[in-house]
Amino acid sequence: MLGFINGKEVQFEQNETILEVAKRTGHFIPTLCEMADIHHTPGTCRVCLVDVKRKNSPGRLMVTSCTTPMEEGMDVLTRTPAVREKQRLQVELLLADHKQDCAVCIRHGNCELQDAAQFVGLQHSKHTYPQFYMERTWDDSSKAIVRDMSKCIRCFRCVQVCREIQGADVLVISEKGLATEISVRDGAPLAASDCVSCGQCILVCPVGALAEKDDIENVIDFLYDPEIVTVFQFAPAVRIALGEEFMLPPGTNVEGKIITALKGLGADVALDTNFTADLVIMEEGTELLHRIKDGGTLPMFTSCCPGWVNFVEKNYPEMRPHISSTKSPQACLGSMAKTYLAEKMGKPPAKIKVISIMPCTAKKEEASRPELASGGAPDVDVVLTTREFARLLKREGIRLDGLEESPYDNPWMGDYSGAAAIFGTTGGVMEAALRTVYKVAWGRELEQIEFSGVRGFENIREAQVDLGPELGVVKVAVAHSLKAARKVVEAVKRGEASYHFVEVMACPGGCMGGGGQPRSKKSYQASWEARREALYGIDRERPVRQSHNNPLIARLYKEYLDEPYSAKAHELLHTTYRDRKRIVKHTMKEIWEEIERRE
Amino acid sequence: MAKVIFGVWDGNVIDNRGKNVFEIEEHPAFRDFDEFNAGNPIKAFFGGHGFFIFEKGVNLLGAALHYMERAAKESCGKCTPCRVGTQILKSKLESLANGERNPNVLDDIEVIAEHVRSTSLCGLGQTATVALLEMLKYFREEIVAQIATGSHGPAQPFTTYISAPCIEACPSKIDVPRYIDYIKDGKFTHSLGIILQKYPMAATCGRVCVRFCEMACRRTQVDEAVGIKVLKRFVADHERNVINEWFSSNLISDRKPDDLKIAVIGAGPAGISAAYHLLLKGYPVDVFEAKTVPGGMAATGIPNYRLPKDVLRKEVSIIESLGGRIFYDKRMGRDFTLKSLMADGYPAVFLGVGAHKGKTMGVAGEDESLEGCQFGVDLLLHINHDYIDNGIPMTLGEKMVVVGGGNVAMDCVRSALRMGVREVHLVYRRSRNEMPADHEEVEAAEKEGVVFHFLTHPRRILSENGRVKGIELIKMKLGEPDASGRRGVSPLDGSEFVLEADAIVPAIGQQVDLGFVAPEDGVGLNKQGLIQVNMDTLMTTRKGVFAGGDCVTGPATLVQAMAQGEQAARSIDEYLTYGRVHFFPNDRMSQLVASIQPMIKKGITIPIKHEYRVRIKELDPETRKKMFEEVEKPISVEEAYHEASRCMRCYRVYSVITEQ
Repeated sequence: MLGFINGKEVQFEQNETILEVAKRTGHFIPTLCEMADIHHTPGTCRVCLVDVKRKNSPGRLMVTSCTTPMEEGMDVLTRTPAVREKQRLQVELLLADHKQDCAVCIRHGNCELQDAAQFVGLQHSKHTYPQFYMERTWDDSSKAIVRDMSKCIRCFRCVQVCREIQGADVLVISEKGLATEISVRDGAPLAASDCVSCGQCILVCPVGALAEKDDIENVIDFLYDPEIVTVFQFAPAVRIALGEEFMLPPGTNVEGKIITALKGLGADVALDTNFTADLVIMEEGTELLHRIKDGGTLPMFTSCCPGWVNFVEKNYPEMRPHISSTKSPQACLGSMAKTYLAEKMGKPPAKIKVISIMPCTAKKEEASRPELASGGAPDVDVVLTTREFARLLKREGIRLDGLEESPYDNPWMGDYSGAAAIFGTTGGVMEAALRTVYKVAWGRELEQIEFSGVRGFENIREAQVDLGPELGVVKVAVAHSLKAARKVVEAVKRGEASYHFVEVMACPGGCMGGGGQPRSKKSYQASWEARREALYGIDRERPVRQSHNNPLIARLYKEYLDEPYSAKAHELLHTTYRDRKRIVKHTMKEIWEEIERRE
Repeated sequence: MAKVIFGVWDGNVIDNRGKNVFEIEEHPAFRDFDEFNAGNPIKAFFGGHGFFIFEKGVNLLGAALHYMERAAKESCGKCTPCRVGTQILKSKLESLANGERNPNVLDDIEVIAEHVRSTSLCGLGQTATVALLEMLKYFREEIVAQIATGSHGPAQPFTTYISAPCIEACPSKIDVPRYIDYIKDGKFTHSLGIILQKYPMAATCGRVCVRFCEMACRRTQVDEAVGIKVLKRFVADHERNVINEWFSSNLISDRKPDDLKIAVIGAGPAGISAAYHLLLKGYPVDVFEAKTVPGGMAATGIPNYRLPKDVLRKEVSIIESLGGRIFYDKRMGRDFTLKSLMADGYPAVFLGVGAHKGKTMGVAGEDESLEGCQFGVDLLLHINHDYIDNGIPMTLGEKMVVVGGGNVAMDCVRSALRMGVREVHLVYRRSRNEMPADHEEVEAAEKEGVVFHFLTHPRRILSENGRVKGIELIKMKLGEPDASGRRGVSPLDGSEFVLEADAIVPAIGQQVDLGFVAPEDGVGLNKQGLIQVNMDTLMTTRKGVFAGGDCVTGPATLVQAMAQGEQAARSIDEYLTYGRVHFFPNDRMSQLVASIQPMIKKGITIPIKHEYRVRIKELDPETRKKMFEEVEKPISVEEAYHEASRCMRCYRVYSVITEQ
């Protein structure tokens, strides 16, 4: 089909929108609420206006290009004075309804509303009605996510992600008119809600309405306290994403620069969560073999991902026995740092503070779980997301991109295998586990180390491994995104899935796509491919590629933990889960009162 | 007749300011605009397409402000221009109404109003500023003059109203866009709450409603109507395990004394709806049902494969959760009378009796006592009540002929197949296009293997030894449309033929059996043999006795019966509280909105992306025709969100300025 944009002939398919055609043919139209890669065109911001003339109608119309289909013979103008004027007024109205404390906003420098204002050439905004937004909800009840609805522009990307991508469906829209807000189901504060703190909503929020809770001040306190021994750890997926915050190409591995940066910050010990990823494989792998041999609860689900653990505790508490009792790598590192490492380094555990840098908002909440503490001290003291860590470096005057690389130098916990490195992507934990479980079962290494059956981006992937005469063929599955997780859980509950072992990561793509990772404007997962390839690249280049072959892991068991699944390992590396399902009982009276309040 | 002094509608300007009032021509379109209620003239009318001023001295700024306040309040808050623009307009109009003397504010107002009109997402925003813009475009000097005086202008009584075509089409006036909004918002409980404000039978209506709303849906002008019914079923089914817990007698705040107990006759849609609203208003309610099951025609007339019995029963049980009592097997005229009810101390009675009696075809050989001959309603009653409810086995023969083209006829043929009748024929005297049945029903019956005979009419029922043997039929031809637009038919001579059958089922209509009303009751009947009521109050000719549903309208629909049940409950409450029924401004606004419809240009000018309506999954015809399990499967949460997103939210704000 043929039409015209700014006088140039364009070809298009039936039901393509004007915006899609314009993008494809190189005509720029400013947008704000739209997000193409999650198929999100709510048409609410009304910024992407264009002037159209339909083939058989005399007048011209102003329409939003994101929702309007291109028609045969349609004549579209994107830059008329009227279009520009209306786009400006639209952004001006948005600003009238937006708390403009830009200088102190967490999205400072990365704000899509500011971009929109620049694109449309708005030079001053004359509508000032602070009463429009002053009363809006500000919710910092959660340890992971802060919601500031005075900044929300009603793009509904967060709702789309929570509903359609995650299937968590925690966010609802409340009130109407000017009071309309994105709200939490049943009006609960985020901390008391079904929110699992995955933080995917933050990745898509164009403004500062959704953000991680900022814990940087605590870290600076620890760094500058001479009494405290700071032990830093950073997760597998941090090193291949942090560079994006310093203008490095996606997928750049900045592991060595992070170690240098930590030294520059004054960190006492710089460790890698990859070390305890290897440790988790030893524990979880052994646990799996025990469950299969002893008729334990199957399938066993992985436990590394706190978003997933939250999801089970809040939605399917009856499935708790299916989750591996092994603590997450973050918690294991904290636990080992305050016991084994404290002993080896001769430091009092009470003086040690463990600071994690994680691609994840839910890890902040995980660190505060009462189950992940020993002797009153939490395994992990503070968690920074990748984004916060970048901010910390900037606040401390450290430019990561220009730093030299440093190696790990801790003789007890400073090494990791390739298997640990791939924990950062969907399928990675499973692949790492299979490498080790295979060795334990057969007494020899898996020939094809790269287990392609569990790699990929399909939301649910299945594979089988023959673990020999005693254990038989083991069926495994990998799920990423909570929507996929829910499908697997429902299938297991219905008795339709005979898996032995299932890896679940709450965030699409796994930790590399975590809710604490660098955002990309106008795109949900722009850096997925590059980040994943970088992780697999690290694995390929490691001299040791199986967790059980990590010499420091062998040393840890020999000198401290005895053997995998030992009594000591149980005490320090295993945990329990709670029933946190929220039961809400409505009465018609309450529902009607709420409806009437809104009317 | 109201005369327009000035005004604009859809860009057509009327300006009679230079004339004396008596010189202004009368226009029949404003026949209904004289008075709002008795003795209360309408001075001005505002809508989404313009405004009319009927009397001098209307405070235009004040009127524009009231209108904008309502529009701003009703904005769904999602798109920028409507959410923010209407608020800024409201704020600027407020300052003018409060004596701001700078007429330049009008320029700012005009820019923002035009912006709201031309860039808003839904129908509300697109129309919220039209009247204001037309006022500024054509009659700005009136406003400038008002600003110059710096006075607030006189306070003026006004009524605002918001509605949409789907709401106006619904007999129960359900706020359809609102319950769809709540689905979009992710609040299914609240969505159901909107429906439950009108009647308790949401899951029932979500399955069997005839959908006046969908016929009125403006989305049909883009692609297909929004699946309003299926969304209703979705929210009702979604909450099915908890909905009964929402109701308890604690819900009732204003509990009325026992001597204000009310008798409701019939536990069908009209009676259940009346009982529900009376209970919510605090009245003690006793429902008397002639059959041993609740639901009336919804229970005995609608087959299980369209409306599972447990769905209906669960919803009827809300009456009991609210503290109402239902007495079964109590037939008026047999077990009690109106007189005995009055003697038992019921100060008000609601008659909600259905049309359970079949209509004869009036052809030779027709005899209800023949073995193998029974009315469609009776057939359905026997299947639903005796076979499904009570498990009594029955045989319906090998070959059945059903006569009629409505939903009852469709229910008969489809039920007969499920009862194991080998060959089922349907005879209808007009063509397929004229069939009053839902086209989905016709298609479903066809898929299940019913043999249709269109343009065919029965001539004679053939019988032998008191048993049906067959039916003589004649072919018909379609004539010209009559005054009502329906095409007449006439027989084609010599086209007679015989269809052998062992069962004949006339399903050409039902009537109400009013034998329960005794002459001394003082309940008058009208020319159609139905109960005569005052349509504003639904009170019969007997004081304190109200009626609604089929016994007033003749055989109609579930939703009409429920609407009358609600209306009667409101009237009974007024009657018992004030002794008379008050004026309801919203009902009057609804009439005015109907009067203005002919003046509204049809059509949707903006190109809208086609998003086809959710396809409802069904049981396979070969499987389903052997059993009574529900045919239509529920839609998923994802499908519900998508279907809800198709609603164009055609809300319009209306307001009138009145004398008092």
